[in-house]
Amino acid sequence: MADEVLRMQNITKIYSNGFIANRDVNLVVQRNEIHGLVGENGAGKTTLMKMLFGMEVPNEGKIFIDGKEEKIANPLDAIHKGVGMVHQHFMLLPSLSVAENVTLGIEPVKNGLYDFERAVADTQAIADKYNFKIDARAKVADLSVGQMQKVEILKALIKGAKILIMDEPTAVLTPQETEELFEQLFILRDDGVSVIFISHKLEEVMHICGRVTVLRHGACMGSYNTKDLTQASLSKLMVGRDVVLKIEKEDPTLGTPVVSIRDLVKINSFGKNVIDGLSFDIRAGEVVGIAGVEGNGQTELAQVLSGLGSFASGEALLNGESIKGKSVREIRDLGMAYIAEDRMVEGVAGNMSIKMNIVADRFAKKEFKKGLFMDAKKIDKLVDQYIKDFEIACDSPDEPVRMLSGGNIQKVVVAREFTSGANFLLACQPTRGIDVGTAEMIRKTIVRKAREENLACLLISADLNEVLECSDRLLVMRKGKIAAAFPKANQVSEDVLGEYMLGVREMTGAEMEGLL
Amino acid sequence: MSKTQKIETTMEIVRTLVGLVIAYAVALIILFAISDDPVFIVRQFILGPFSSPRRIGSVINLAIPFTICGLSMCFMYAVNRFNLVPEGIFMLSACMVTFVSVKLGNALPAPVMLPLLFLVAALTGIVMAFIPAIMERKFNANVVVVSLMLNSIIGFLATWIMRYHMKDNTISFIGSLELPENAQMPRLFSGVQEKEGFLAVLKSFRVQSGLIIAIFCVIIVAIVFYKTSFGWKMRLVGENPQFAGAVGLSAVGISFAAQLIGGGVAGIAGATEMLGNYTRFQWTATTQHGFDGLLVAVLAKKNPALVPIGALFLAYIRIGADVVNTSGDIPKEFITVIQGIIILLIAAESFMSGTKHKLIFKAAEKEEAERKQKQQANTAA
Repeated sequence: MADEVLRMQNITKIYSNGFIANRDVNLVVQRNEIHGLVGENGAGKTTLMKMLFGMEVPNEGKIFIDGKEEKIANPLDAIHKGVGMVHQHFMLLPSLSVAENVTLGIEPVKNGLYDFERAVADTQAIADKYNFKIDARAKVADLSVGQMQKVEILKALIKGAKILIMDEPTAVLTPQETEELFEQLFILRDDGVSVIFISHKLEEVMHICGRVTVLRHGACMGSYNTKDLTQASLSKLMVGRDVVLKIEKEDPTLGTPVVSIRDLVKINSFGKNVIDGLSFDIRAGEVVGIAGVEGNGQTELAQVLSGLGSFASGEALLNGESIKGKSVREIRDLGMAYIAEDRMVEGVAGNMSIKMNIVADRFAKKEFKKGLFMDAKKIDKLVDQYIKDFEIACDSPDEPVRMLSGGNIQKVVVAREFTSGANFLLACQPTRGIDVGTAEMIRKTIVRKAREENLACLLISADLNEVLECSDRLLVMRKGKIAAAFPKANQVSEDVLGEYMLGVREMTGAEMEGLL
Repeated sequence: MSKTQKIETTMEIVRTLVGLVIAYAVALIILFAISDDPVFIVRQFILGPFSSPRRIGSVINLAIPFTICGLSMCFMYAVNRFNLVPEGIFMLSACMVTFVSVKLGNALPAPVMLPLLFLVAALTGIVMAFIPAIMERKFNANVVVVSLMLNSIIGFLATWIMRYHMKDNTISFIGSLELPENAQMPRLFSGVQEKEGFLAVLKSFRVQSGLIIAIFCVIIVAIVFYKTSFGWKMRLVGENPQFAGAVGLSAVGISFAAQLIGGGVAGIAGATEMLGNYTRFQWTATTQHGFDGLLVAVLAKKNPALVPIGALFLAYIRIGADVVNTSGDIPKEFITVIQGIIILLIAAESFMSGTKHKLIFKAAEKEEAERKQKQQANTAA
């Protein structure tokens, strides 16, 4: 059985901004194995796989394929050496047929011209071999997401992949499609293909993987046989919840509703109801947490409430005024502050100074102007104050934000959003991928501002610890709806919460009465 | 400054210098192969632009339109919209100020006439920049393609205006009627009578009065970029439009406005060149000044305060090429190749980035080692 296909040894990767994405990571994959690679967002899973697929070059460490040391220069080289990757975001040409997509790069040729019939035959042959129910002549644009994924897998297989990397393959699939995918992965495994399965859905990993390697904050937490693990012990390895976060807080004194959402519906570009008739209130002085597996409408809800996305029907009121059709500026002026999910995209401008990032939402206001110009002194004074208050470790306010560590970048974000004077805070993954100290500061500040300043806060987070400890009321979102509501978040157990999140249980409207 | 920041700044300077050295070394090697007197040629190319007051003056004169066009392109570049219409605007605004001044004649005194002409030029620029900008905003047309096509149209439009509405039939070549005197800007110090002394030296440079306009423009644009809220908005939108949107700025509106202002500045560039250097409008094709402006903006890393340096550098190697062309046995085209190498190596941001990354990696590694050591010391304690 000890038939080693891949060994990645002491891999270290440091990005050009000094960020250490992988530190001394080891990964060994056997033949006939589905190997799980798990870890939180930002743990370094994708970076590790990018190095295996030749998209990044490790600074240190060695990669052995079939016992031979290899330098993988680029994806083409990787494919050549038998590595195939199915990306989270498909890389397909929608206007071409399945066969054309699959044979791209190794096109069969007859008389100097592309031999479409051969391409179809080749594609169909390999699809049938692995029991992929797919028509090689169909246009990719007409396929479902699950079928597109199969085309991606076929692309790798036809080029002779013996190591198949699947980057969160089930994130986009329905439960039936997921089941089907697993069966096909089993067939692949038995046929001698090694699969590296990246996921943070523990039950899936436990279900299909023989062995699993755990990454945490770029470091390798070891490899284990899944049969020696339980979901609980695996999650402990991943998240390191050894230190259970406790936030001391009294019950909230509830004020009037600051945000009222009624029958909210948002339809995405595929015509799917990503938010499907959502109704709830957020009152002054309370933190409402939203838990849920990622991709169940949380991101879309944040987009609607922040004004970055529109909605189809229903109503959303902020401080008594409808936000429908209003710009981000207008909604912010109504009293919204927004900690964005991905800080490098919506939270900061990396090349700009700390100073500009902190005042980005308000420098255009009258109070910061002196005639035609910016009131530099006032801004400098304010920024210096915030850098001190939020303990942003930097050399000067003019340092570009991208040079800071993740935690300090997030401090820049919260220094702006906590001080904007808003009475509604929309906090999305406010502590994702940052150090423990900063995370604690942010969580405590959220609770304190709710208690002392009557802030209404909507906390959307994939970190269960965080939603359970920070929130007063807790809602669970699943498939664009509220699946469960709990009056006291810190009295909910993770197990119960998990069952609602994964759809094992669902509350009825009557059970949630008065909790929305 | 943090370690990473220090490395980045140092490498920026080293990179530029290495780029220059390589370019000149390549030039020297080729010159040894094809010229009878390569050392003379290189000396002419490097030192020629400084060999007489007249030549120094030429460098400055050439840098003036480069500077103003560079400022114009800074606006486009700052919001990441490569609206290349300044190339056409430069020609059309020169044409329009000629047209207006020829029609008005000497009716207005110079202090009224000149501001009026610059207003005409700026408006010309704004209107022309509006076309690609609105096409992108309303119809999602590619601003680069639209502006390039528009440049061809503008080129012929300007030629048509010259030929059919202000052609001078008394001269043997194609050109407009002469500019009235009150529209011509004198050379600096041209009124100086002394044959010796400081002022006479300044006079001998024969610098156009556009210098004052260029300096004025640099100051204004630098203030707009770094001291006004519009400048801040513009830079935020350019660096990260999604972030700008999330803090409530209208990325679309701001980049639209920036393009219009950039167009206006390009108009001023064309008028400055026309009124300061020529007595007739004679161009029959666009002049490359707009594209040179983009080059300058790239060299200056879209910082208006650095634009004059980029412009002077570009003017310096252009004049060097002219000197070699007239005094050596090397064709001008060869010098163009050297120019290309220099600019390429300086503008190529990733040149030597491997070395930079290695240095940053080493610094991070060192910190990491220190961190580990500390940790071990802690656990030991």
